[in-house]
Amino acid sequence: MARVLDTARDSRVILGGLVLVHLIVISRQVDTGGGRSLLQQVVFEALSPGQRAAAAAVRGIGGAYDGYVDLRRVHERNRALEAQVADLERALQAREEDARAAARLRELLDLQHVLPVETIAAEVVAHDGVPWFRTLTIDKGRAAGVDLNAAVITPTGIVGRITAVGPRAARVQLLLDHSSGVGVLVERTRVMGVVSGQVPASGAGTTELVMSYVSSIADVKVDDVVVTSGLDHIFPKGLLVGRIVSVGPPTGLFREIRVAPSAHFDRIEEVLVLKRAPDAVSLPRSVRSDPAS
Amino acid sequence: MTRVLWIAAAIVGALLAQSVLSQLTPLHARDFDPFLLVLVYCGLILGETQGMLAGAAAGWVQDVHFGGTIVGLSGLTKLIVGFAVGQSGRHFNLSSPASRLLVVFAATLVDAVLFAALASVFDVKIYELSVRGLAARATFNALAGAVVYEIVERRRQREANA
Repeated sequence: MARVLDTARDSRVILGGLVLVHLIVISRQVDTGGGRSLLQQVVFEALSPGQRAAAAAVRGIGGAYDGYVDLRRVHERNRALEAQVADLERALQAREEDARAAARLRELLDLQHVLPVETIAAEVVAHDGVPWFRTLTIDKGRAAGVDLNAAVITPTGIVGRITAVGPRAARVQLLLDHSSGVGVLVERTRVMGVVSGQVPASGAGTTELVMSYVSSIADVKVDDVVVTSGLDHIFPKGLLVGRIVSVGPPTGLFREIRVAPSAHFDRIEEVLVLKRAPDAVSLPRSVRSDPAS
Repeated sequence: MTRVLWIAAAIVGALLAQSVLSQLTPLHARDFDPFLLVLVYCGLILGETQGMLAGAAAGWVQDVHFGGTIVGLSGLTKLIVGFAVGQSGRHFNLSSPASRLLVVFAATLVDAVLFAALASVFDVKIYELSVRGLAARATFNALAGAVVYEIVERRRQREANA
């Protein structure tokens, strides 16, 4: 009996298997219109949602991973580019600084060529160290031929005179110093006077000069150009000093005149030291800059 | 001998600091006086003799490099200030950073007043500092001094502990 039951179970299994085989065979021949067999259709329909979900999940994870990797790449690239930009900016600044230095040196060289006296080019190594005086230190001294009281100039105007000389350095008393004094004349009318350092201009970081001993009836007006007179035997005649910015009312015999220096004292980097002071030297117009500029 | 070398090195350091600062900020370097920091420290740590000698040496270096046509005004001023700081250090406890800050502030004021007085006596024309300018100079020196002294003190303590 048990054998019979076994045979019946076996036969059911076989039946089921054969049915399935048939279904497969048949379904392979049935076109559902989508180009797929029925079985394919069924299996496809049954499994595709999971497949879609899996694909979506993989896509999502893959996208996130790719995004993360890309972000890291972008971040690294960004840092590299930032470093590159910084390097380029530094290089550009260095080039610009070189260009500015070259322009300054070219001006200095031009001035050196047009001056009929021997000059020594020097670099400024220190500016004012104390608040009571206005001085510069230059890197040329007695060894280079710098003498005491030698005139110091730049292409934009006179700077001062040498007040102390060492073997390889010298101190320059600026025109702005209280104790300085330069014989000058007004270029337009040839009115003479003495220019010296004066109190700082209000609010500004620069200073003005005062022109003294100018007669109260002298013909001077604002914007007149002031040049050296050569009478102090330090500065050659005709070097640019500055431009008159104010003419005070007469006080007795004289009147006080304020002069804006043409030399840019706050940014002097190179100067020329004159080896001797001839009686008459005039700078060509081409190298005279307007003090207002 | 070592002490003298250290003081000399400090003065040279002050000169270099002043020169570098004057190149970097030409208009503001004059508001800082590193030489004064050297003499105040010497006066406080080593006493009035070393303080005034360091002050005189520092003042002369300052005169030669940044002074006017008459050399020695800063030398004399800083000699007196160095002595005064040394005396103060002897009579008062000025070892804390705050008290040293105050000493540098006061020393800057005394230095400026003495310098102006000496310039007037010797008929040297100088730019007189405004009250505001003087206060700024004293404040800047005091702050810089507090920082520099702290660094030097820590270094000394490390060397003492080692």
